[in-house]
Amino acid sequence: MTFPLRSLAAVALAAAAFLCTAAGAGGNDAAQRGAALAEARGCGGCHGERGHSPTPNVPSLAGQPPEAIVLNMILFREGLRDAPPMPDLARDLTDRQIEDLAAFYASLPPGPPEDRGAPDPARMREGALLAERLNCGVCHLPDYRGQNQVPRIAGQREDYLLLSLRGYRDGTRRGTDTNMNAVVYGLSDAQLAALAHYLAQQGER
Amino acid sequence: MIRRSLAFGLAVALAASGVAWAQQQQQQPPPAWAQGRPPEMANSRLAPHPPRLTVTPPEQVPVAALRVPAGFRVELWAHGIPGARMMTLGQNGTVFVGTRVIGRVYAVTDEGGQRRVRTIAERLNQPNGVAFRDGSLYVIAINRVLRYDGIEGRLDDPGTPVELTAAFNLPPDEHHGWKFAAFSPDGRLTMNIGVPCNICEFDRDRYGLIVSFRPDGSDRRIEAKGIRNSVGFDWHPVTRELWATNNGRDWAGNDVPPDTLHRIRRPGEDHGFPFCVGDWNDPAVPRRNCSEFVQPAASLGPHVAALGMRFYTGAMFPEQYRNQIFIARRGSWNREQLIGYDVVVARLDAQGNVTGIEPFLTGLLDQANDRFLGRPVDVLQLRDGSLLVSDEQNGAIYRISRAQ
Ligand code: HEC
Ligand code: HEC
Repeated sequence: MTFPLRSLAAVALAAAAFLCTAAGAGGNDAAQRGAALAEARGCGGCHGERGHSPTPNVPSLAGQPPEAIVLNMILFREGLRDAPPMPDLARDLTDRQIEDLAAFYASLPPGPPEDRGAPDPARMREGALLAERLNCGVCHLPDYRGQNQVPRIAGQREDYLLLSLRGYRDGTRRGTDTNMNAVVYGLSDAQLAALAHYLAQQGER
Repeated sequence: MIRRSLAFGLAVALAASGVAWAQQQQQQPPPAWAQGRPPEMANSRLAPHPPRLTVTPPEQVPVAALRVPAGFRVELWAHGIPGARMMTLGQNGTVFVGTRVIGRVYAVTDEGGQRRVRTIAERLNQPNGVAFRDGSLYVIAINRVLRYDGIEGRLDDPGTPVELTAAFNLPPDEHHGWKFAAFSPDGRLTMNIGVPCNICEFDRDRYGLIVSFRPDGSDRRIEAKGIRNSVGFDWHPVTRELWATNNGRDWAGNDVPPDTLHRIRRPGEDHGFPFCVGDWNDPAVPRRNCSEFVQPAASLGPHVAALGMRFYTGAMFPEQYRNQIFIARRGSWNREQLIGYDVVVARLDAQGNVTGIEPFLTGLLDQANDRFLGRPVDVLQLRDGSLLVSDEQNGAIYRISRAQ
């Protein structure tokens, strides 16, 4: 797979945007280093320049909690989460580089992908009921922005949400613990699709 | 297993708290950490703390915050060991370190006063258990047992281990499936088999056990039953009795039940889980008379996660520490206020009665801000009598010695 070359201006822009939102000074440096590394490694070619993924089945990373990104990158690097092409792309990254990349993506404002479709009322209703009944908001927080190791799922790409929910249900994906596998245990494809649809429609419009 | 625990939870829920919750439970089991959570706690934000899997730079390891009693000193002995948990000592002095999520086993050696850290195994499923015997390192992951022969002579190239998985035939369950492992004084490889849930109905001869085997995996024997999940044990240096820590269940309240210390006088005795912790009858399960069970030797505090423990046999510490138990308390998640995050000493009298639990290593719990700086998981005595403490959160090992 090849990725278009991006201009340095994009990096500068990302870094500048971060200056306005960064909470800590240390995080600021890390985010700038992360922006440069993401540029050099072409992460944006799949995940979107500003972390809003335009690519089917590739997650948006903007506004993810840094812990969630770090932990998944380590799982890729250590060969503990098998999801091509990420294990190969993470193989030679150091801990520090992974933390920098996470600081960068965490600093970007979250938002839906450009190709998000319109909400479908029936699936929105079913998804909302399921999310309520299954307590998704307890761990992912009521607005689904995530916390610590629990990822942001509001406004995530619908196809990726469905892919990961299927992976948890079928036991092909496991995180740093097995909570998600238990949460979606026994749900039907239609139920997972309703959840994915509902969550993809949450967050900033 | 899942279905049985579900049916059991269903019965309890129906009896205790109405049908709505029960119907919800019928459709899928709650995540393992939330099983047994009463409906009034369904929206609780308490959840296990995230692990840290990256290197903590040495200047960020909170050694300066650590406190030990007067006359002792504590230093950073090794760092750059993400996820460091259980420790065991090789005959040439190598410290082997197991982990959970990151899937690695490390070897730490002392080279001219500097520590060198090597990753000797990786991509394993929670290789928490490490034990050393006759030149071989035994690594126990979930449902997997590996033996690395002559390991200390080949740390740079450990080679392919001997696969003993089939011989040990451990249950495959992930939850509480990680092991603490150690060799008994008579050479039996001993390990926990935790319950695959928070609280549930389970086969009490298959789970909730401490079991021992011959080193080749044959001759399984139950050392203790009714022990929910023991991630630390050791044998009394004089009486050779087995003593073990045990983790109490979650979601029964901020202050119940306590984690416990168990004295195992005779193999196979029943220590009460899931029915009783001491004289506390768990309301989530059918009532039993708690005097049917062996009583714990001591209570170690609610939700503290009392894990690695060892008897002190060295000559470096004052006489009053000899044959006393050092216990690492990794620290709570299922409690509104944090508790633990320290190393305590259980004081025993000549009859083996616990006369008190005293703080020993403190400073990792910042009570004022209700946050923690590190999570001690195991303790290990070195040959010189100093004591190592592993800190999983910082991937570090501290060394406590007598101040000169
Ligand atoms: C060739 C396309 C591609 C490139 C380039 C790429 N990724 Fe990915 N990434 C993916 C795909 C596909 C997934 C989802 C895999 C799955 O779950 O099946 C993913 C998943 C991830 C995840 C997990 C997110 C989550 O929510 O679980 C992270 C973090 C990530 N990538 C970071 C990066 C970083 C950092 C880079 C640059 C070093 C990068 N990716 C480059 C395709 C790519
Ligand atoms: C017990 C806490 C908990 C609950 C309840 C929970 N989640 Fe999660 N969820 C997590 C954790 C922890 C992760 C990260 C696991 C990992 O690293 O794979 C996660 C990951 C996910 C992911 C993957 C996101 C990504 O970027 O890769 C999706 C999608 C998701 N959860 C959806 C849901 C939905 C939908 C519900 C309700 C049906 C739910 N979760 C309920 C804890 C929870």
